[in-house]
Amino acid sequence: MSNLLILPIILPMLVGTILIFFAKNHSLQRVIAGITAVLLLILAFYLAHEVYYHPQQTMILELGNWSPPFGIVLVADMFATLMVILSSIVGMLCLFFAFKTIETERAKHYFYPFYFFLLTGVNGAFLTGDLFNLFVFFEVMLLSSYVLIVNGGTNYQLRESFKYVVINMIASAFFLVGLAYIYAVTGTLNMADLAEKVGVLEQQGVLNVIAIVFLFVFGAKGALFPLYFWLPNSYYGPPAAVSALFGGLLTKVGIYAIIRTFTLIFTHNTGFTHDIILALAGLTMFFGVLGAVSQFDFKRILSYHIISQVGYMVMGLGIYTQLALAGAIYYIAHHIIVKAALFLFAGATEKITGETSLYKMGGLLRSHPLLGWLFFISAMSLAGIPPLSGFFSKFALILSGIQEERYVIVVVSLLVGLLTLFSMMKIFMYAFWGEQKIPTEKVDKKETMGLLKPIIPLVILTIALGLSAEPIFQFSLGVADQIMDPSNYIDSVLNQD
Amino acid sequence: MSLLHLVILAPFILAIFIPLFFKYVKQVHTGWFVLVLPTILFIYLIQLIPTVSGGEPIVESLAWVPSLGINFDVYIDGLALLFALLITGIGALVVLYSIYYLTKKGEALHNFYVYLLMFMGAMLGVVLSGNLMVIYVFWELTSLASSLLIGYWHHREKSRYGAQKSMLITVTGGFSMLASFSLLYVMTGSFNIQEIIAQAGDIATSPLFIPAMLLILLGAFTKSAQFPFHIWLPDAMEAPTPVSAYLHSATMVKAGIYLVARMSPVFAGASEWFWIVSVFGMFTLLWGSFNAVRQTDLKSILAYSTISQLGMIMSLLGLGSAAAFYNYEEVYFTATIAAVFHLINHSTFKGSLFMVAGIVDHETGTRDIRYLGGLMTFMPITFTLSIIGAFSMAGIYPFNGFLSKEMFLTGVLNTLMMTDFNMQSIGFLFVAVAWIASVFTFIYSMIIVFKTFTGKYQPEKLDKKPHEAPIGMLISPIILASLVILFGLFPNQFLSYTLIEPAVQSILPTALPAGEQFYVNIYPWHGWTPELWLTIGVIVVGTIMYLTLTKWQNIYKILRLHKKDPINYIYDGFLDKLVTGSQKITYMQMTGRLNNYLAFMSVFLIAILAYGLIEFDAFALDTSIVGDIPIYFWILAVVTVATTITMPFIQNRIAAIITIGVVGYLLALFFVFFKAPDLALTQLLVETVTTTLFLLCFYHLPELRKEKSKPRFKIANLIISLGVGIGVMIVGISSIAMKAGRPFESISEYFKENAYELAGGKNMVNVILVDFRGVDTMLEILVLAIAGLGVYSLIKLRMNDEGGRLK
Repeated sequence: MSNLLILPIILPMLVGTILIFFAKNHSLQRVIAGITAVLLLILAFYLAHEVYYHPQQTMILELGNWSPPFGIVLVADMFATLMVILSSIVGMLCLFFAFKTIETERAKHYFYPFYFFLLTGVNGAFLTGDLFNLFVFFEVMLLSSYVLIVNGGTNYQLRESFKYVVINMIASAFFLVGLAYIYAVTGTLNMADLAEKVGVLEQQGVLNVIAIVFLFVFGAKGALFPLYFWLPNSYYGPPAAVSALFGGLLTKVGIYAIIRTFTLIFTHNTGFTHDIILALAGLTMFFGVLGAVSQFDFKRILSYHIISQVGYMVMGLGIYTQLALAGAIYYIAHHIIVKAALFLFAGATEKITGETSLYKMGGLLRSHPLLGWLFFISAMSLAGIPPLSGFFSKFALILSGIQEERYVIVVVSLLVGLLTLFSMMKIFMYAFWGEQKIPTEKVDKKETMGLLKPIIPLVILTIALGLSAEPIFQFSLGVADQIMDPSNYIDSVLNQD
Repeated sequence: MSLLHLVILAPFILAIFIPLFFKYVKQVHTGWFVLVLPTILFIYLIQLIPTVSGGEPIVESLAWVPSLGINFDVYIDGLALLFALLITGIGALVVLYSIYYLTKKGEALHNFYVYLLMFMGAMLGVVLSGNLMVIYVFWELTSLASSLLIGYWHHREKSRYGAQKSMLITVTGGFSMLASFSLLYVMTGSFNIQEIIAQAGDIATSPLFIPAMLLILLGAFTKSAQFPFHIWLPDAMEAPTPVSAYLHSATMVKAGIYLVARMSPVFAGASEWFWIVSVFGMFTLLWGSFNAVRQTDLKSILAYSTISQLGMIMSLLGLGSAAAFYNYEEVYFTATIAAVFHLINHSTFKGSLFMVAGIVDHETGTRDIRYLGGLMTFMPITFTLSIIGAFSMAGIYPFNGFLSKEMFLTGVLNTLMMTDFNMQSIGFLFVAVAWIASVFTFIYSMIIVFKTFTGKYQPEKLDKKPHEAPIGMLISPIILASLVILFGLFPNQFLSYTLIEPAVQSILPTALPAGEQFYVNIYPWHGWTPELWLTIGVIVVGTIMYLTLTKWQNIYKILRLHKKDPINYIYDGFLDKLVTGSQKITYMQMTGRLNNYLAFMSVFLIAILAYGLIEFDAFALDTSIVGDIPIYFWILAVVTVATTITMPFIQNRIAAIITIGVVGYLLALFFVFFKAPDLALTQLLVETVTTTLFLLCFYHLPELRKEKSKPRFKIANLIISLGVGIGVMIVGISSIAMKAGRPFESISEYFKENAYELAGGKNMVNVILVDFRGVDTMLEILVLAIAGLGVYSLIKLRMNDEGGRLK
């Protein structure tokens, strides 16, 4: 029991609420928001540290002192704390980018409160140990995301976010339906308890279908094939800071939920569930990357790549070995960092050129060399070129695929990697190479540097995650080891001393 | 971390400082700072020769990602050292040359030398690493650096095209290698090459052996520009000439050769290896030389020539693998020795030729042989250099190319002695291909020299007035040309047992008992051997054909080779189709219409639900419950369903909202039946409020438009809706049925028992809401707050796409 667990949830919630009252004072909002984001990051690392050195490497908090499975319980294991760290890093840096780019109008209309409410939902989704509570945190997260995605109310935003909202509402409705099913069968909602009860019932009969319902629900949140339609256009509309936060973080909450449920609860018929997941992984990668190949717009290419890369993450789950899951976890960490960086680059170039269409850009490497090279590094990392973070995560997945003789997915993932390279090269060649389109005297070096400051840490991270892959990979193996063995989780929650 | 690791990393470290040199030391050409490094490295490596040629490899290890089997092992044997010397030696000469080739002003030298150093480090990493994954890492870095160098003048369309092409093709090969290395790891449990070689005998029978071989060869062939992957190399000529001399003839394109040589101990015993490597090599040899003749750009000729020569070395490695079949009979060693020898020779003469081409380009402004001619008098030194380089390439005594060409022919002729593979009958094909290719090689070598330096001088077609190059530009090619002659006259003194023999030892490690050496004595004169007659034939026929070039040049038009390499049509067509095809596929599903999206998602849901239900025979009905249902409950159910069904048919907004309200009130009745009066009350309240709100809003909305859609479309939608509804119902019924058999209680029992005792509330639902699960409620309040605030901001703020506010 440790009250520490509630802090990543309650802190952004309280600060978000406070910020509502200072909405008209832009600079005060920034100060409060900035300090909070830094605090959150420190908190996340401290929590991870505590959990890592905890004898069971899992800490829990019984909310309202009601012992599980009857009350709601927060569970922080290594996986959850890693995700909280990642969300805090990206949350902080995107916020800093927002400081530079968000229009005062948007800030006055509660941009920052919604931002922190979103983080409340995200952190809560990572930390909760109760399936219904997960639904509630999803609601917090999604409602905030609806507002953030439409905040500003441009015609484009209104049109596309409508689709986003409707599809996500339907998915949420099915989440509720799934909860009703599983509660009907097992009579419980606590995830550890569910894991135990599903185990007692040997995941027979309709439980497998219920598992599929959850896959559908989380798949819709995580943009799996064929549930990703809402993503590419809706991520195009909002300001870059929001696109980056969503692109990096939001779909990964869905993926986290899939990995959590399918390593903890529905683990008894992997031949059925995890094979479906693997097939979806391949299709998701494939269609996602084709989308990216087909586009000639900076932001849209990135949006489609979210889809293709989600495929890699669930590929690890589908293969379902320690190495594969470690690869998936490494991949999630890599992706959150690099994807956020790339979206911020798109935002920075948009700010500089006023364009997102590749046809209208060119020669940025000459006028903005630092921006160009930092983008290049991130792009190569995304394509899995060594020795950056994208390579090692992808490599672990491929190696595990070969070990398990899943050759089809290995081939697909390699081809998708190649097409990823193709589409990232496309951005680089169109936007950064070629004739310089901005007159040199118009280049505002100070402004560029200001835009780059929040991105540079992300680029450093992707390099560091690659060059010093060993400790990160060891950690991922540790996480994979822990989630591959649900008894640890179950014991920590239900059978504590 | 040892000194040897530093050898590999030093170029990367220096690269970090290059932009600083460029920025702050403007008066000195950045190249001078770079030049120091390869020179030092070359000298350092030279003094390793005695150790390595003694037969003892130098091994150092450094853990990198041990949990994935990736260690930064340095392994220096004869083969590695030979390549490392080429990389640093030619590297130093090229950097020196580049200082005069690229001017300080107007060139992005900081970029150029960073790429170049990155390449140098990566290439050293490829050849000095003993761990396959480390090789792979550096391998991709060489592709990257190469691509960046090709795109160095990126404002040119062709540079970008060439950069993209080389990147796509070589990285494809790289990914294939990654798969191959992973297969090898799965077979042997190691990425360490020596450990894999030690298990070579065991893995030969594995079903993964052949896939691993094919994938590794794909990597090697793409990098070393073997047919049909050679097409990136001619386009790589867009890079500045020093780069072409360095990467695209002397070093990087030989990485594939290196890989094949390095992995020979693992794969050489397989007949597939023999066939694939030698046939692809032979065909590339022929294709390259044949196509070189039709080129008009000096660098394009050299590019195809490089392709051809790489094919030749590749085929020699293939033919040399025959030794592994025939119990290492000595005659089959010749091919391998010839491969190593020619590899060295090619780097010297081709390097100097590229530099000559660069000089011509630099001093005349063109490389097109149709505009050139008669330059001999203006540039006598350059002319001499070109003679040395081209005659060596053509295989003329006393240059080194003659010796290795002779050995190549010997190696090919020796295959006629093979007793397997029908070699007696088809072996002559190899000889024929080798001979024909040699003839074309002779022809294009003559073209390079004589079309450029003799014939009619055409000053009107040149941008500049030609004159001899500055001495700085001439030093490097002069050194290389001297080596061409030195190696031609004294091969045994310089190369045989210092570089060639140790490298052959690495390729054929088990051929000889430990401690013995290969016999590598190279002589120009062996008597009137068949090789010599073939060479004489090449020179005679080659000369005649060169002189009659105009008479038979039409053959390229007839074969439709005159415009571009036919493989390019495939590449260009593929890229084109890739983009248009993916656009087609993407827009087929990303229609932008919400009802399409929902239909796709629903169909998917129905499909997987059905699959799960059938697969697990999951449908179950607890009939005991059915009996208990009272009749009024049935009536209520039927009324609810019927009301719902009327919904789609209503065309009036007010009527529609009232109907929905009715459904809501009916639902409240269900709650009453289930003895949940407070829920029923809540439901009634919510329904009333929403209906009222809707009615208020509708006052401001336009008339409901009748939706026009085809009946077919409507039927499809109906089926999908029914499917989802029935699916949800079936799973629900089955879930309730499963509940009956479970051996444990629901947590609600606990709530029933303890709501009053522990939480002090008589209404269990309330207690759950505010106490047992109070956090849920708190968060739902937050959700409401977000929604409210969101609606408020949505109403208040409407912006246009430029970020301004709409009125």
